[in-house]
Amino acid sequence: MSQRKRSKGLGCSQLPDGEDDFIPTQVERRSPEQLNQKVSELVQFLLVKDQKKIPIKRADILKNIIREYKDAYSEIIKRADRTLQEVFGLQLVEIDAKRHIYILINNLPCAQGELLCRGKEQEKMGLLLVILSFIFMKGNSVKDSALWEFLHLLRVYPGKQHGVFGDVRKLVTEEFVRQKYLETTAIPLTDPPEFKYQWGPRAEKETSKKDVLNFVAKMQGKDPKFWASQYSEANKATT
Amino acid sequence: MSHAGTSGESPPAARRRRARPPQPQERAAREEAAEAAHEEAAEEEAAGERLRQLSIGDGDDDDREHNRMIRSQYRELISTVQQNREAMLNSKSNRLTEALEEANRLFDGVCRAREAALDAHFLVIASNIGKEKASELHSEMSAFDSTAFAEDLLTFMGINRTEVEETDESEDIPGGFLPTGAWQTIGEEAPKYFRRAPTFHYMMGSFKSEPPVPKQRIERQRKASRRKAERAMPAQLKKMEESHQEATEKEVERILRILQTHFEDDPNTPISFFDFVIDPNSFARTVENVFHVSFLTRDGLAKIKLDEDELPIIEPIKPSEGGEEEDSRAGARNQVVISLNQKEWKEIIETFQIREAMITPPYQATEEEMETE
Repeated sequence: MSQRKRSKGLGCSQLPDGEDDFIPTQVERRSPEQLNQKVSELVQFLLVKDQKKIPIKRADILKNIIREYKDAYSEIIKRADRTLQEVFGLQLVEIDAKRHIYILINNLPCAQGELLCRGKEQEKMGLLLVILSFIFMKGNSVKDSALWEFLHLLRVYPGKQHGVFGDVRKLVTEEFVRQKYLETTAIPLTDPPEFKYQWGPRAEKETSKKDVLNFVAKMQGKDPKFWASQYSEANKATT
Repeated sequence: MSHAGTSGESPPAARRRRARPPQPQERAAREEAAEAAHEEAAEEEAAGERLRQLSIGDGDDDDREHNRMIRSQYRELISTVQQNREAMLNSKSNRLTEALEEANRLFDGVCRAREAALDAHFLVIASNIGKEKASELHSEMSAFDSTAFAEDLLTFMGINRTEVEETDESEDIPGGFLPTGAWQTIGEEAPKYFRRAPTFHYMMGSFKSEPPVPKQRIERQRKASRRKAERAMPAQLKKMEESHQEATEKEVERILRILQTHFEDDPNTPISFFDFVIDPNSFARTVENVFHVSFLTRDGLAKIKLDEDELPIIEPIKPSEGGEEEDSRAGARNQVVISLNQKEWKEIIETFQIREAMITPPYQATEEEMETE
């Protein structure tokens, strides 16, 4: 009972009061060394969890790291974010405020000639960039049939095993969606059911419309202003 | 079915349907529809027969046939629209308008709810397509030619277009040969546009959580062989260790003598521990001094205690004094860990104004010997 009151006092977001075991008082639990320990553990946890680029759930954090320090959750998270920023140049971002899901993004601008990701990862990012560009230039939402029609032109077929990407359909519809780079929604009243693709929250954070427009412009050897409405939209959203 | 047999002629609508060449995609659907319609028609024939027997005019027969036709035309229109959705969405095509006009025309002939229901179904589909078309216009995106974009991407990836098309696929795919590193080329360009966190990996890999059982046996074997190896080299080792030990012992004795000398000069004032061990010119030597003094206390040759100001003082113990033997034994049981870092060392020098080392540095030669460990 008293623990719930304490959480409100700290002003942190509502925590699940699921398993409320007997929790010792604040004073005993929150020595600075212990807090530092938890912060370090959380930083390491986040770094490892980020390997697959699948967003991290708050429930996992609470279960594996925070445990009985639930009342200090927001403090620990804040300090872990600061450590990530100051030590690693990364940032902890909440992409879903309702379901409390986090991702790590790079705080530093990508310098030229840096090889931060290895071969396989890079190729996937290339495909992803192409897809995101297509979606944006086509008005932020495309039907799956249109997307596959476009990828056909690049010799990428959903039904065929690709030399580089393997099962492309799985890569696009499952992996990219799970990583929150893409978001897919069903179009109502279609038979057989069709889906549309949009940018996912991770894409919104890791890149921008402006960057993507610049990519398209670079590929096509044109000035980004050539596409007037996309250009104005890209410059509007400068968050 | 028996009724159809007696009527002697198959219903005209069904015949017409069978005569029309069925499209490959909808053959199954058509067959089903044809069968259903056939049954329907058969039933209607039977009803028609009965009505005829009730002597109602020929107009009903035509009506029924007419309605059947309308229904079949609606169904065909609906399936056409659904099949060709993509084509209809093309902003340049008028096919949606044409389909709507066709439906309008059909509706003129509709007089019953059944056909009207089909008309409503068609309207739902058509309006959905209409909505999509409208939203594509609404986005106000400047014309983006995806085909040109794809071509430019292929160029960037290093496509070799000199090869003539070997396309066995549809005609949409342009000819040309993509080199193996094609996607790698784009892959090198892509990270510049993302703020992607580099993934974290242990350089040497991670260890397994369960301790491996078979390894223990190997360890035991290794330990046994190690001992043997040590035994094989005693002659060499002993020499080094002795010289090392000797140096330490010599140093400890020398320090004891210094301590005793200072104490003899002024027997009643115990010497401040810091004054004694700290060498203001060298942190390393200070640490060594503390190290050597610890031997003195361990062997009961000196004692360290706290004075009234809680500062440590050191004084030598005369081994001949009987009364103090107990003290030394009691003293020997205390363990103290002294930590000293450079910052503290400097602070002590400042605080106590230590200008010179009480323990004079050993000779150059001895120092070098000790440093060759």
